[in-house]
Amino acid sequence: MDKSDHELNRRQFLKSSAIAVGALAAVGAGVGYLQKVTAENRINQKFLRPPGAIDESTFIYGCIKCGLCVQICPIQAIKLAGIKDGLAYGTPYIDVRNQACDFSCDSMQCVETCPTAVLYFKQFKKEGEKAIEKYGATHERNAEYNPFPVQILAMKSIVKMGVAQVKQDSCLAFQGKGFKGTPRGSDFKGINRSPYTGDAKATPVSEKVYDEKICNICVKECPIGETAIVMADEGNGNLVPEVLSGCTGCGVCVMVCPTEEPSIVVEPIKS
Amino acid sequence: MFGKNNKTPLPPKKKEDIPYIKEGIKFKDWKAKNGSAHKWRTIRWSVLIGINLLFVLSFMFDLSLLEGSLSGSRLFGFYLMDPFNSLQMLIISAYTGHIKLLTMNFIIGFATIFIFYFLMGGRTFCSWICPYHFLAEWGEKLHNYLVKKKKIKEHTYNIYLRYVFWAGFLILAFVTQQLVFENINPIGILSRSMIYGPGLVLLWILALITFEIVYSKRFWCRYVCPVGATYSMVGKLSPFGVKFELDKCAHCLDCQKVCLVPHELWFVEKGKATSKRHDVGSDCTRCGLCIDACPGNALSYTVKGLDKIL
Repeated sequence: MDKSDHELNRRQFLKSSAIAVGALAAVGAGVGYLQKVTAENRINQKFLRPPGAIDESTFIYGCIKCGLCVQICPIQAIKLAGIKDGLAYGTPYIDVRNQACDFSCDSMQCVETCPTAVLYFKQFKKEGEKAIEKYGATHERNAEYNPFPVQILAMKSIVKMGVAQVKQDSCLAFQGKGFKGTPRGSDFKGINRSPYTGDAKATPVSEKVYDEKICNICVKECPIGETAIVMADEGNGNLVPEVLSGCTGCGVCVMVCPTEEPSIVVEPIKS
Repeated sequence: MFGKNNKTPLPPKKKEDIPYIKEGIKFKDWKAKNGSAHKWRTIRWSVLIGINLLFVLSFMFDLSLLEGSLSGSRLFGFYLMDPFNSLQMLIISAYTGHIKLLTMNFIIGFATIFIFYFLMGGRTFCSWICPYHFLAEWGEKLHNYLVKKKKIKEHTYNIYLRYVFWAGFLILAFVTQQLVFENINPIGILSRSMIYGPGLVLLWILALITFEIVYSKRFWCRYVCPVGATYSMVGKLSPFGVKFELDKCAHCLDCQKVCLVPHELWFVEKGKATSKRHDVGSDCTRCGLCIDACPGNALSYTVKGLDKIL
């Protein structure tokens, strides 16, 4: 190649580079704008992330949007955000009204499968070890003692996706009303494992029939149990649901709430 | 860089050394005789569609074959990671300290991809797996048709533009602490759309392919894609590639016409080759279109070093 060719190539490269820098500046400006827009309504307040999610500012770059957590979830509770959500595009979230995380996998597979550790296992591991210790103590007294429920319960109780809040205006129990029938109608596709039936697998919500004098479906279906939500005396003899500190924000209560708009909502944890 | 070549080229072939004159037939007849089938293209498209289908079916029927998407996946339980995505993530997390938490699975996935494409020729990914490459090939056909009909003009840029974008996207990721590129990455977008269902984001792919059809041929793959640039660097010293034998070449340049990166086939032009045999560089996607197109079988797949022993 002679010299003039070489010169020409270089000039072409510099010209093209100018275009590239311009394009990158445009992308950068777009990102800056989106960041400004989302700053007001921080994404971490909008999305309920899967169990074990670390703080949102790390989550947003650590998540490489592979969707392995979506695939591993046996009840398909995890979904990927669309382009409408701006920079959160492709990141996982749980839409609890349609399908909540009911812990029926018993092992936090989404946390285990995440390659970039934005769903992070170590805190569960610690809890699991504690549970095994506890098992050692219990096992001496009762040889048939099954270790797994302890470990599972420990893992569940360390999850903190969000906190449930009861809406007193619409909650049936607050109005002293009961509920009869299936809470979400027969077309509803969501599933969960009821803690009181002893089923090993999750069953459709649409197959469950209730007949409650005072509506307490959220309390009945809560996979965590009495550390998370109980029916408490309001003070005047009425029993109403009360959320306690053990709530993990799994959202099963939201999914099974029979009112048109859910009378209990999960507020994602803010970092 | 800039196509510099310090070796002196061999003198141009004598007329009697050109293959079809040697055989005593006309160029047209020689070309028809050797005929160009679409052997490698058929194989390649089958592999490309097969792999992407495997992703879709694995999710659809909950099989543990090839889970995840092209951004990150698991093949029979072994993790595989997209190198550019991981690189962005590594740079940010090295700064923020998240790097300490990264799992062994991530390291295995990153290393596996690195070693595999180091051996197989980096950009092999592009033409054998990337779903956008497949779309763009059809866009290219349409583009070529429009150019032939003189409806549009061809626009080319410098091939090294990719590295400017590569560095630019890394800097952007670091500055904004977001995986900026993944939001516009057609590989990830198409892969996720196929597996988890389509979304509005596909409009971006439509815009991209339209731009390629009406303005600049294969714009994204040639001048922008930092994933391709990463693979290009990974496969710099790859043993697997395409070799060129000067003796069988008639300088018809059919190979350059079908090639995504014609600058890698610089040696097929008359009087340019500096030795009897040449190997293509790391920008080559090993797609095999040139092998199918060559009437004299002057181009073929090779494993450097191995073919000398055999």
